[in-house]
Amino acid sequence: MATTTERTAAASSKSFDIVATYNELLRSDPDLTMPIAAIEALVLVLTHSPSSTISETLDLLEKSTAHLKKSIPNPIGLSAGTDLFQRYLITTLQRPGQLGPAGDFKAIRTHLLSNGRLFIRRAKESREKIAAFGRGFIRDGCTVLTNGGSRAVASLLQKAADEEGGPSAVRFRVIYVLSSISKNIEEPSGEPEGMETVRTLRAKGVPVSTIPESAVAYALGKADMVIVGAEGVVENGGIVSRMGTYQIGLLAKAIGKPFYVVAESHKFVRLYPLGQYDLPIEQRVVEFRSEDDIAEQGKQESSVDANGDKPIELPLSDSVDFTPPHLISALITDSGVLTPSAVSEELIKIWF
Amino acid sequence: MPSTSLALTPGLGSFLKSLKTHPVDTSIENLISLLKRRQIRHSRSCATATAYLLRHVVSVCKTSDPAKLIERVQSVGRRLMAAQPREMVVGNVVRRVLGLIRDEAEDDREAEFTLSEAGSESQPQTPRAFDDASLPLDRDALSLRAEGAERSSSRPTLQSMFSLLSHPDADHSLPSTPGTQSPNGRIPGHGPSSKDVKAEVLEGIGEIIDELGQVDDQIASYALEHIHSNEIILTHTSSTTVQKFLVKAASKRKFTVIHAESFPNNHEATHATVSGNSSGDDEHLSFESFQKPLIALGITVILIPDSAVFALMSRVNKVILGTHSVLANGGLVAAAGTRVIARAAKVHQTPVVVVSGVYKLSPVYPFDFDSLIEYGDASKVLPYEDGDLVDQIDVQNPIYDYVPAELVDLYITNLGGHAPSYLYRIVSDHYRKEDISF
Repeated sequence: MATTTERTAAASSKSFDIVATYNELLRSDPDLTMPIAAIEALVLVLTHSPSSTISETLDLLEKSTAHLKKSIPNPIGLSAGTDLFQRYLITTLQRPGQLGPAGDFKAIRTHLLSNGRLFIRRAKESREKIAAFGRGFIRDGCTVLTNGGSRAVASLLQKAADEEGGPSAVRFRVIYVLSSISKNIEEPSGEPEGMETVRTLRAKGVPVSTIPESAVAYALGKADMVIVGAEGVVENGGIVSRMGTYQIGLLAKAIGKPFYVVAESHKFVRLYPLGQYDLPIEQRVVEFRSEDDIAEQGKQESSVDANGDKPIELPLSDSVDFTPPHLISALITDSGVLTPSAVSEELIKIWF
Repeated sequence: MPSTSLALTPGLGSFLKSLKTHPVDTSIENLISLLKRRQIRHSRSCATATAYLLRHVVSVCKTSDPAKLIERVQSVGRRLMAAQPREMVVGNVVRRVLGLIRDEAEDDREAEFTLSEAGSESQPQTPRAFDDASLPLDRDALSLRAEGAERSSSRPTLQSMFSLLSHPDADHSLPSTPGTQSPNGRIPGHGPSSKDVKAEVLEGIGEIIDELGQVDDQIASYALEHIHSNEIILTHTSSTTVQKFLVKAASKRKFTVIHAESFPNNHEATHATVSGNSSGDDEHLSFESFQKPLIALGITVILIPDSAVFALMSRVNKVILGTHSVLANGGLVAAAGTRVIARAAKVHQTPVVVVSGVYKLSPVYPFDFDSLIEYGDASKVLPYEDGDLVDQIDVQNPIYDYVPAELVDLYITNLGGHAPSYLYRIVSDHYRKEDISF
């Protein structure tokens, strides 16, 4: 039994490349978040393999997930999606009802396979929901400081900007912290992440000021609140987010400004990092080198190039940091405004 | 505060009396104007008045269809909340009543599911039909609470994180949409059991009213765990909850109480509380049979002006505060001066304990703190006799303070002691998500 599943898994992974699918999904739709892309990729894996028993399917999912996680430099966001998918499958199977053990396994399979589009749509709708919840935070005359390229934050700000009826719209200002590291590796002088949102907001008549990361402490005095997005929300209520978020959190706490996080609830991930260097990713942000080391490295790079076993490093432009929960005033999610401590409960609810 | 002849002045007592004789709509108007004119103030009086009014509204409601009941209660609730938006307990009570109706409607529906389980094909997810079927049997206040906990732990599983992946049909069959979507058309107006819904709801409101009556005693029962011998306790305002808490502890222990007088809005009541010379004028005191003051129990009580709080804080072992309402993020809206005390306690690392009934706990997230602060009579700060000055100076008299959650160490409610970060849990046990913003 085990050998057959292994063989099928191996066969399917040969014919179907989950990593390429995942990357392709992310590229094709800029509005797609990592967890949702991961769920989509898993749905496609299931479509491509004719597994018919429950354990076969779970086994296949587990293998594909492990493979996907190993091949992506930053698997935190996507693991939220794969975990959610797996838990949903198991919980539904354990539950009495038509989709449970008494019922037909095929039913749940067909449901998952045929509703891939629906999940994506719901994920996008959840951003709308967040915007509706978060509207209350942005009031007339306030100034919001934000960073990064979070789509949830962008939709929240846009929603606040274009409340129908022109003059009744909220009059607020935005301070946008732009990263000095360009997102695009091929084009280092390209525009930083978030410029798209800045342009959209300006087009809607919202005064936006863009500042470098070094000016955050200087600019915070003019801001009333900080709103940031997140790549993953971890169990203790902290967030994993674009490099630079942690320092904004620290500064906001020091200056006494509320620090809000906007995140969809499918980004909640079962991870309990104890500090910055406890994340399951390899990123070389702090690197000590002497002249000798640099020379050494240059030699190595020319000699060995393709080293399969080494963990994949995260490029500097995609590096993340961890903002601990005590810096966060509240999380604005599609299931309401949560305190950081409420996150663990949401996670426990799906795991136990 | 100074209402000399209780029988004549409109207030909680006269309102409750009039409830029996007046038609519902008059009573609603009556309460709205009482709230607007601030003739009913204090959290508990407002909560009690709202609960009694809603019980009346539900009992005279001709229909017993849960959807219509919810609609009716919502419309009344909206008007009451609009009358006095800062009195958040009104909204809290309305939300709890709405939750009650929804719970009853669901229990009802689930009971039917168990009966007609064969027809579950159109209902892919009927998980709770099995484990919850026994719940309608016992209904004392405690089991209600346990049930609430059980529900909220099982229901949002379907709603929150899994909602992304759930079956499209299952979405609609979620019990949270009462009456509107019943695949087999069996919910609206179904025969004999619908009558029970109303009776159960009325009983539930009765329990809320009972809870409002007992809440201070329940909180006081935790007093001995928190107040120890020879401690120095600092408190503020004439809050009945705090007084009962201290009196309960005084029955067994000897300690010292430092009482800040809370000038200018509450100092008279505070003086009366300390000296025990309560003339029974204050509504929320006369509401209870007033107890012996602390001094009669052999407790040393030191009355200080508010300005001396910081100076004395270094000697204080514990700060015990009453509150006006508690917000979902763990912050609280309390009598002006509370924040100063809480901040001073923080500086001296003195524990701050807030005593509050669960009914004061509001599910509303405080987006705008400033809007929660109510401003009172400026003449209490600068009497109008000083006419010349009044013309030249802008006098303000805020009645409330917003105290952020990080300044509070412990909340004691009628359910026990909780950390501020745990309050969200109590909120989700007591209020339904659908009702938070209705």
